[in-house]
Amino acid sequence: MSAPFAAKRLGKELQKISNSLPPGIELVSADNFEEWLLDIRVLDDNPLYRNEIYRLRFRFSSTYPIEPPEVVFVKLPDRPIPIHPHIYSNGIICLDLLGHQGWSPVQNVESVCMSLQSMLTGNSKNERPPGDEEFVRGNRLRPRDIEFYYHDNDV
Amino acid sequence: MPPPNTPVDGTTTPQSTQPSQPAQSSQSSQSVSRPTSSIIMDASQVKTALVKMDYQAIDYVNPVDETLICPICRTAFHSPITTPCGHTFCAKCINRALERQRVCPIDRQPIDKTRDYRPIPLIIKEQLDRLEARCPNQGCDYVCARENLEAHYERHCEFTLVHCSKPSCDKLVARHLCSIEGQCMHEMTNCDFCLKPVAFVDLDAHWEQECEAAFATCPDCDASVSVVNNSMLKHIQQECPEAMAKCKWDGAGCRVTDKRRIVREHERNGCMYETVGRLLEQQAEDRRIIQDLTRRLASLEAVRDTRRRERRRDSAATINDRTATATAAGGSLTNPTTSTSTPADSTTWESPHNYMLAQFERLESHMEELREMVCEMDMRQSASFLHHSKQVADRFLELGDKVGVLSMHTKWLLNMQYMQRNAQLRAANAASLAAAAAGAGGAGLSGGSDGLNHGGESSSGAGSSSDSGLRYQGSRRGSEGRIENLTRL
Ligand SMILES: [Zn+2]
Ligand SMILES: [Zn+2]
Ligand SMILES: [Zn+2]
Ligand SMILES: [Zn+2]
Ligand SMILES: [Zn+2]
Ligand SMILES: [Zn+2]
Ligand SMILES: [Zn+2]
Repeated sequence: MSAPFAAKRLGKELQKISNSLPPGIELVSADNFEEWLLDIRVLDDNPLYRNEIYRLRFRFSSTYPIEPPEVVFVKLPDRPIPIHPHIYSNGIICLDLLGHQGWSPVQNVESVCMSLQSMLTGNSKNERPPGDEEFVRGNRLRPRDIEFYYHDNDV
Repeated sequence: MPPPNTPVDGTTTPQSTQPSQPAQSSQSSQSVSRPTSSIIMDASQVKTALVKMDYQAIDYVNPVDETLICPICRTAFHSPITTPCGHTFCAKCINRALERQRVCPIDRQPIDKTRDYRPIPLIIKEQLDRLEARCPNQGCDYVCARENLEAHYERHCEFTLVHCSKPSCDKLVARHLCSIEGQCMHEMTNCDFCLKPVAFVDLDAHWEQECEAAFATCPDCDASVSVVNNSMLKHIQQECPEAMAKCKWDGAGCRVTDKRRIVREHERNGCMYETVGRLLEQQAEDRRIIQDLTRRLASLEAVRDTRRRERRRDSAATINDRTATATAAGGSLTNPTTSTSTPADSTTWESPHNYMLAQFERLESHMEELREMVCEMDMRQSASFLHHSKQVADRFLELGDKVGVLSMHTKWLLNMQYMQRNAQLRAANAASLAAAAAGAGGAGLSGGSDGLNHGGESSSGAGSSSDSGLRYQGSRRGSEGRIENLTRL
């Protein structure tokens, strides 16, 4: 029964976001209820992200929205990975909202995009998370499991 | 959902929801030996739905107000509850969310047990009940208030899945496909057109999608048209561009008859009779309105007459009362106002029509007033809404800034802590290294809890008395034995 639940909720979301999305967020593809692609860009003049568009990939499990979606930035020739102290250079995002603790089922694709947008807007540090290189080289974990790893080691 | 192959279970579950239906319960008790029951019962009427109606699949005629939408499933609430923190969710949705995390999904207040739930205000329930909802079954376009939709789905909808009419068949079938008792619609038959074997239930889909023989070429336009259910006739009479047709304004006197394509062209270019036709249409419309108004006027007059009769009776009664009291007061004076007030009602209006006209005018002006009021209110409301939303947006910006500052501070503090701890550790390491180099005399100097314990017990050396005094203060919470040990020192 849980798979249809996710599909129905995603159907509702798709209905809404294919009609209207906040500025700076665009739906690229949503052909199924497993993976969606969206483009985001920052709206202000932050020199770190000016004139760039970033591609986000959402992956939904059958327990969405009870469980968080897996959200990463995807690298393409015209879609770089934004530089940010919480975004690894392989596109993995360390955001509390997307972790098991921080996620809430009232969040949705649109609200996640907006959070990421504001996370970029508010940033002024031109740097990657500490240990980015080793992490990107050595990581074989899935994004959802990495978050723990990061939090445990950082503070 | 009960497994489809347990007829007893499947038919008894709905009993609990509709206990006031003896006919149904008798049917379900006989469901094992259905062939006999079929003689008595009209099966198509009482067969019960096997899958509960899915409220999330309901489509609403009008957009549902955001306040009636569950933040988890994003559909209009279904049997909602309110949490102690005042948030509302479908019972099913919040239960599912709490299985993972025992906090309110909106404000993260802890929610412990289901006993924390409160019922929603009645006014919300009523709003939900009144939503105009479409039947969720595919193929059904029934619309009604949501509170009645489940009854339609359970008992009447032709597209609800029910048990196959044949007791030995455990498949489900749409209700309209099992009208013949004992006939299994999953059995194979031969398509009327291509003669291939097809199950009865799949016939419609077969004709629509697969069967080539179910399509024929229109003799006029060469289009491929379905031949099921007289579709070809319909095509020729209503759609086919090459078939002969009459002008739309035929009734107004136009005699044009040609291929539909040409006739359509003729209509588009402006048929001479169009004006006349439209006038005729208008006239018919007017006549209908007049008839309607006459009917309404008649009923209003009837109401007025009864009212007037009642009033006359009442005022007659009061006159009787007053004259009675007046004569009782002992005066022979006649009261002029009471004697004229009753006829005034009936004499002011020369005819019932005038009276009705006056009433209509009064109502009309009233309507006009109301319309103006509504317009004004609308304007005022949108102005205030704009004003408010501006304020809210400003507040949001302000809050966003504050959050940014706070997160900056937090990061800074965390960083500080981290650095301090690092510095401490480094100092400790350096000290222990130095101590090791200096030998036993300096052993007590090493910081950290381990060193403290060690120092307390073993440092009887002369060089570190002030040091151990300090340590005594630091380790008050340590074991008493150690404290004694230290004081003795
Ligand atoms: Zn819900
Ligand atoms: Zn709450
Ligand atoms: Zn229906
Ligand atoms: Zn059957
Ligand atoms: Zn066929
Ligand atoms: Zn044709
Ligand atoms: Zn004509």
